[in-house]
Amino acid sequence: MNAMTERNRPFSRRGFLGLTAAAASVPLLAACGGGSASKTGGGDAIKFWDMPWGTPAYNDAAKKITEGYAPSGSSLKASYQTIQWNNFYQTFSSAIASKTGPAVSTGGGFQAFQFEQQGAIAYADKVIDALRKNGQFDDFLPGVIDPFKSDKGYIAVPWQLDMRVNWYRKSLFDKAGVAVPTDWNGLLEAGKALKKIGSVGFMTGAGAGNFLGNHAVIQMMVNNGGGVWDENGQVDVMNERNVEAIEFMYELYSNGIIDPAGVSYNQDNHDAQWKNKSKAAYGPHVFGLTNRVGDTSGDLLVADPIAGPHGDKATLVFPNNIMMYKNTPNQEASEAFLVYYLGKLKDLWQQKLMNALPVFKSITEIPEFTADANNVKIVKDWQPIAKTFASRSTKLTANTAVLDGGQALTQFAQTVLTGKGDAKTALKAFESGLKQVVKS
Amino acid sequence: MTTVNSGLARARRGVAPGGSGRPSPGRPSLNRASKLHGQTSRTYFWLILPSVLLLLLINGYPLIYAGVQATHDGSLIDAGNFVGVDNFTSVLGSEAFWKAVQFTIVFTIVGVFGSWSVGLGLALLLRTRIPAGGLFKVLLLLPWVVPIVVSSTAWNWLVASPDSPTNKVFTALGLETPLFLADPTLAAITVCLFKVWVSFPFMMMMSAGALTSVDNTVYEAASMDGASRWQQFTGITLPLTARSTYISWILMTIFCVNDFPTIYLLTGGGPVDATTSLVVYAYRKVFQDFQTGPGVAVAFLMTITLVIVSALLYRQIRKSSVE
Repeated sequence: MNAMTERNRPFSRRGFLGLTAAAASVPLLAACGGGSASKTGGGDAIKFWDMPWGTPAYNDAAKKITEGYAPSGSSLKASYQTIQWNNFYQTFSSAIASKTGPAVSTGGGFQAFQFEQQGAIAYADKVIDALRKNGQFDDFLPGVIDPFKSDKGYIAVPWQLDMRVNWYRKSLFDKAGVAVPTDWNGLLEAGKALKKIGSVGFMTGAGAGNFLGNHAVIQMMVNNGGGVWDENGQVDVMNERNVEAIEFMYELYSNGIIDPAGVSYNQDNHDAQWKNKSKAAYGPHVFGLTNRVGDTSGDLLVADPIAGPHGDKATLVFPNNIMMYKNTPNQEASEAFLVYYLGKLKDLWQQKLMNALPVFKSITEIPEFTADANNVKIVKDWQPIAKTFASRSTKLTANTAVLDGGQALTQFAQTVLTGKGDAKTALKAFESGLKQVVKS
Repeated sequence: MTTVNSGLARARRGVAPGGSGRPSPGRPSLNRASKLHGQTSRTYFWLILPSVLLLLLINGYPLIYAGVQATHDGSLIDAGNFVGVDNFTSVLGSEAFWKAVQFTIVFTIVGVFGSWSVGLGLALLLRTRIPAGGLFKVLLLLPWVVPIVVSSTAWNWLVASPDSPTNKVFTALGLETPLFLADPTLAAITVCLFKVWVSFPFMMMMSAGALTSVDNTVYEAASMDGASRWQQFTGITLPLTARSTYISWILMTIFCVNDFPTIYLLTGGGPVDATTSLVVYAYRKVFQDFQTGPGVAVAFLMTITLVIVSALLYRQIRKSSVE
């Protein structure tokens, strides 16, 4: 009788406690198990993490390329995952720390340098060797690969260029009766004439999540032969060329040539000014602005590079890159996949899925790319004079990530774009803020 | 008979394992009660232990890990070297930190008392019989219900550029076009107003709930004694709803100090840090300057401040309960 009732009892106290303990241990075991299981870094496939670049159809096409990878011999296949830009650095950091991250990935422009500093990046020298052998190395546009070379090896491989170029709306210049500027003095005079017709002669934006204003300020410094770093990669903000460039920015502001509301424009507000056919007449923006704002009128054009007072011509470029991580099931398989993927990049531009300049000359010559005269002008006139954030140095470092999007630059750019104070004070504050966060 | 009872039922009755629940002859009943009490306590202890362990794991681990990060100079991947309280001292010595403290205080005071004033006013208004009162209540809840991404986009559309509707109204009135988000002072005011707009429905709900507990006869008696409306408000409404008011203040203070999206989506903390609150400052430190230690140190300082403020307000709740 007792035995029967013991068996039929729905819950004994010890049973309940045991069950609860077991339930409590599940997440613990899962957490422990997750860590050890992930040590293989991606199971039996090379994990490729990619960002939402280009048009919405881009990721589908990139996934197709990835899943179409058929490795030779016993090498591993690849799997594809899209990572959203929101909190992407946190996503990558957590995944790398828990050894559940990718073996290969795209990402932020300076991400590879940050993770290299933390010992998580696998150098790409063997990929570069393979590109030399298959001829793709010689196909790189000039100066594209150099910023990725470090003393220890190639930190990543560039695959597309995020260019900053000056755009103009032709009809507004015609209406104002001025020529499109080719130097700073011309920019000042054109800006004054454009202001008279209610247009903006130097349009940019530095509001929430919009870093184009930050880039515009640095672009003017680089355009004048200046830059944030010296030749050895040390902070050097207070040089004469920078002071001259920022004084010019203040002059543009005081003449009403910089939109005073621009400092608060997020990306949508900023693009809306370019879409508005009577507002933005001239200013720096990204490659593919016409696609971005949906203007197919042929009225939005890429301007000629502008010369500073000393005759310097330069612009900014952010070479987006593909990096490999040490946490991989097989390093050779990572390298083989990356070589394959770089060889397939042309498909993305052929399908017109990219709003960026390709790194390979051969892609810049395909009909789908050359059909847009703005693209051709950027390759011909702007890419050869483009410098990275590292300018005047040639090497990108983790410090460039701290500069891009950091508080010091944002505060500096917003100070300049609101016309507060003067050039030297703004630059001094910028230098001081930057020195607090960069690692020497 | 005893075996068919579940252990839980026995525990609730204070019956020890194997016991009948009846006093056994020949043993002092006090000792038995004491023994039973001890066994019951042990049962309760083992029953709650898994939950306590889970809670410690969920809340304690991140707190300890954050403590490690705040006292180290590492990154999100690597803890780095132990630096003691250096991150705290560097943050406390930073001008930007104190500017963020200043804005956080202003933002919180305006957010709490602005939304409370509007919410209480509307709750009092909706207490009177007005046509379609229910519909108004639902409509007035919308700012709280609508996702903050949507409402910040709407506010951005309203005020961001000289072509925005609000700016056009000023221009049409012959006034200078205000730069609501580009001028540092106006941007701070706009962000605070946005917070009040988003938060007043919550305060309205809290106040409306508290007002229902105030008997109308109290007002009628006061009215018969010749009390004015203002006297009724200060002498009846405020004291009788004080407990609920203090609770809503505590909650809204926490909401305001920890509010990241309202500020970040509208201004990103700019222009020139004019709308950078402590939580935005901490975010920027960690994810834009990649200074994990100082950023987490800011979060720790925020937590300590919030605990102190909440404790002070909680004392007020107890005081109002006693009164």
